[in-house]
Amino acid sequence: MKSKILMAILALVIAGLIAVPWIASYFYVFIFTEILILGLFAASFNLIFGYTGMLSFGHAAFFGVGSYATALVLIHLQWPFLACLLVSMGASALLALVIGFLSVRLNEVYFAMLTLAFGMMVFAIAYQWRSVTNGSDGLAGFSLGSFGLGLDLTLGNPSVYYHVVLGIVAIASIVLYVICRSSFGMILKAIRQNPERVSFAGLNVRTYRLVAFVIAGTFAGLAGGLIAPFLRVASPELLHWSMSAEPVLMAILGGTGYFLGPFVGSAVFVLLETWITSFTESWMLVLGIILALMVIFFRKGLLGTLIDWWMEVKK
Amino acid sequence: MKTTRIKNLLVAMTAATALGTATSGYAEEPIKIGGLYILSGSAATYGEFAQKGIDLAVEEINGSGGILGRDIEMIYEDTQGKASVAIQAARKLVYSEGVDALVGLDSSGVAQGMVPTMPELQKPLIITHAATPDVTGKLCNAFTYRISVNVAQNMKAAAMVAAETDATNWTTIGPDYAFGHQSWEFFGNYLKETKPDVNLMSETNFPRFGAEDFTPFIDRVMDSDADGVLISVWGGDLVNFIRQANNRGFFEKDMELMFTVGAATEVLTALGDEMPEGVHLSTRYWYEAYDNDINDRFVKAYIDAYGNPPSYNAEGAYAAIYAYKQAMEAAGTTDGPAVAKALSGMTMEAPNGTVTFRKGDNQAMVSPNWGVSGPMHPEHGIRTLTNLQIFDGEEVARTVEETGCKL
Amino acid sequence: MSGIGSALLNSLDIGLLLFIIAVGLNIVFGVLNIINFAHGALYMLGAYLAFTLINMVGMPFWAALLLAPIGVAILAVIIDRVLLRFIYSRDVADSLLLTFAILLIINESVRMIWGSGIQVVQPPQLLSGSVQLLGSSVATYSLFVIVIGLILLAGLWYLFNRTRVGRIMRAAALDRDMAEALCINTRMVVTGVFAFGAWLAGVGGVMAAPMRALDPGMGDKIIIESFIVVVIGGLGSFPGALLGAMVLGLIHGFGGRYLPEVNLLLPFVGMALVLLFKPHGIMGKGATT
Repeated sequence: MKSKILMAILALVIAGLIAVPWIASYFYVFIFTEILILGLFAASFNLIFGYTGMLSFGHAAFFGVGSYATALVLIHLQWPFLACLLVSMGASALLALVIGFLSVRLNEVYFAMLTLAFGMMVFAIAYQWRSVTNGSDGLAGFSLGSFGLGLDLTLGNPSVYYHVVLGIVAIASIVLYVICRSSFGMILKAIRQNPERVSFAGLNVRTYRLVAFVIAGTFAGLAGGLIAPFLRVASPELLHWSMSAEPVLMAILGGTGYFLGPFVGSAVFVLLETWITSFTESWMLVLGIILALMVIFFRKGLLGTLIDWWMEVKK
Repeated sequence: MKTTRIKNLLVAMTAATALGTATSGYAEEPIKIGGLYILSGSAATYGEFAQKGIDLAVEEINGSGGILGRDIEMIYEDTQGKASVAIQAARKLVYSEGVDALVGLDSSGVAQGMVPTMPELQKPLIITHAATPDVTGKLCNAFTYRISVNVAQNMKAAAMVAAETDATNWTTIGPDYAFGHQSWEFFGNYLKETKPDVNLMSETNFPRFGAEDFTPFIDRVMDSDADGVLISVWGGDLVNFIRQANNRGFFEKDMELMFTVGAATEVLTALGDEMPEGVHLSTRYWYEAYDNDINDRFVKAYIDAYGNPPSYNAEGAYAAIYAYKQAMEAAGTTDGPAVAKALSGMTMEAPNGTVTFRKGDNQAMVSPNWGVSGPMHPEHGIRTLTNLQIFDGEEVARTVEETGCKL
Repeated sequence: MSGIGSALLNSLDIGLLLFIIAVGLNIVFGVLNIINFAHGALYMLGAYLAFTLINMVGMPFWAALLLAPIGVAILAVIIDRVLLRFIYSRDVADSLLLTFAILLIINESVRMIWGSGIQVVQPPQLLSGSVQLLGSSVATYSLFVIVIGLILLAGLWYLFNRTRVGRIMRAAALDRDMAEALCINTRMVVTGVFAFGAWLAGVGGVMAAPMRALDPGMGDKIIIESFIVVVIGGLGSFPGALLGAMVLGLIHGFGGRYLPEVNLLLPFVGMALVLLFKPHGIMGKGATT
């Protein structure tokens, strides 16, 4: 019964998302594009944070590299969009393999600090390698050509781009979900709860962590590939540590223990920001207060708290 | 953001009531104009001064019947000096707030990212500060105009000033983004043309925009053979730079120092007498440089309202609102493409004289000002400019062919 | 030669300022096991309080140097009692997140109170200008920063090694339960240590105010620098903070001077190298993971 209601809610949300360009004002096409992309970014992060228990402070490195990869391919090679996204994923996966290989050996604070250092190294390179990255100004002025697969889509149209993003994020989420529900995902959860026990069971914790890290990096790269044409620019701030903090906030806000938590977090984050900045400049103040309350009292996030409450009521 | 809007409305309302002209302004929706400025961080003073200039223009216009009988309502967004933020803010202004036109942009990097998206928005943009030549050059489009001096114009003038000095070994200290790099590039090219025997040093200095410690770069220049330095650091960075340079004895060395935006009154006000005497300072508009009625009125009204003299950013923003008034009244509508079209080739009277948006590239033919810092102004608390030179806007501009703009 | 001399002095001055700030972060981590993300915001608050006391109230710099850090410490006591007490028993990640929230709140409050633009604090008359040293001119104020840094360094050493309070702090850092068993009121120690760390951040802020323009983003810049310092030196280690600050000071002083093309990259390379080869820092305690 309960799962049926949940499925019905989910179907409604998906139908609503598909219909956004027809039912909401034009501005919300942009808002929901952003929500979906950042949601994917946060969901990829949650694979290592919520599932595996590793707090990375450098996840923007993969997001940013993904955006630069797409921008560079569009500027220099003008490949179809799908090919750009594959390049983004490949570049981020490779980077995640290197950073992950060096980082997953460390625990807790040290892992957070090392990923922060690597993330900021990538930021510094993008900032100072002017001949390739155009320095702090970032890469701009690229335009989308064809989509690929012989599909005739006008990607420059924001509504079309929104539907493309929706489709790609949906597919990526299903893949991520399958990974989380697989035996591999179960082992990640076990690692979060008790790494010693997992290693006593004869499994190499480090390898599992590394694989999770690379998968997360790859999907962050995909999200980055989607954000560059949306923002029309790939710039160093996409790589900065403050960008790494965003998926952390979104995951906490939505709920780290649930697959859809980061998406809920992303939606709440972006919508609140849009609405609150319409009547006060102090969005960050509100965000800070919300975050403090979430960390202290609602550690399960909005989604977790809601579901708990619902279970309680429906008992 | 919204407090300013409310304030504007209040100002407009009181003005209208006081004058007893509360007529058409209430009957129709106000004309909305979106302002995109840096409102936070080390350059926020610039956005603040631009807002002051705009508020003044809006108050004047709304007090005397508005545009096409409608009041102006300003809505501001913070670009944070980032292109991605500015582009999203512009979308919000156009699609959510429904603005009719845009003004603003403080940073070249932001302008380069933002300008290519203007045709999609179908609203005119008048750039009031960002100086990269590209936006009225190879990135130009029918919706983008600039009322302020660009890097090419200012560096042509700078090269003419530099050619008059004895300095032969030139280097630069500039922010590490489009503005700093392009300033040096254009300056070098123009200077080499007029004075082929000068040496442009390969050791250049590009500290990060928003860096706090300029000392290593100051030391590098002091230890080098440079006898001429082009300094394009600006905003809060320039305040930091001058103070640290003072501490290092930088100004005691015998060098020709040229500050490309050093006579911004935002900076002069913050520095007071810490700004040294005897260095070359430039600005895109110096409030004492123009002897005409509009300027007299503008400077007086500005000082009365805010207590300090207007900066070039305030002047550009002020003039941009009047440019929209003239263009919208000429077009008879606030329709984006029609207003943009009316701006093309338009000539208007502004505090800095007669200004024309050139048809070929939409760049206003305005004059860079260069001078040498002199004694403190007795009332305004800032350095004065001596040996003031007002360059001819047309003369220092690139030809339309040189800009690479094809409109 | 003069180039190296001035780069060295510049490194020392940046390094000691960083030490004052980072050692506070490190003490808080060592004793409370909290990574205080809001430490940079507290530093900023010190600078802004000094701005108000000097430019608005008209106090001399010296009074601000005394009062502003105390103001920051009082705020820290409130933060500790109202917010942090909930998460002392949780893992480090939660403290990072909560203090990040505090950082957002302080940053935005500063923006609301003092505005987004830059503010400038003048150094006292006695310390403005420059003097000749090692063949190049050096800002008098830089020398003052160096002197104050050294005085604080000596004071802290004395506190930790020669006083009862310092020993209690070290005991609590080693084993909180044991300290409690010895009838030491650890709650008082916790609040006191957090306030002391904040006080150091505030001192750093006041010291930095006459050298740097104040803007509401200044805390975010310094917090990452402080992380680098404590990671290089060793989380929780007092001599480590000094070493880390000196290393980072040298990276800035010489990197900006001789390798400007990569000066942004260098600190993070240093940080990563230390974490890779000595995860607990050069002076950090014990076992590696």
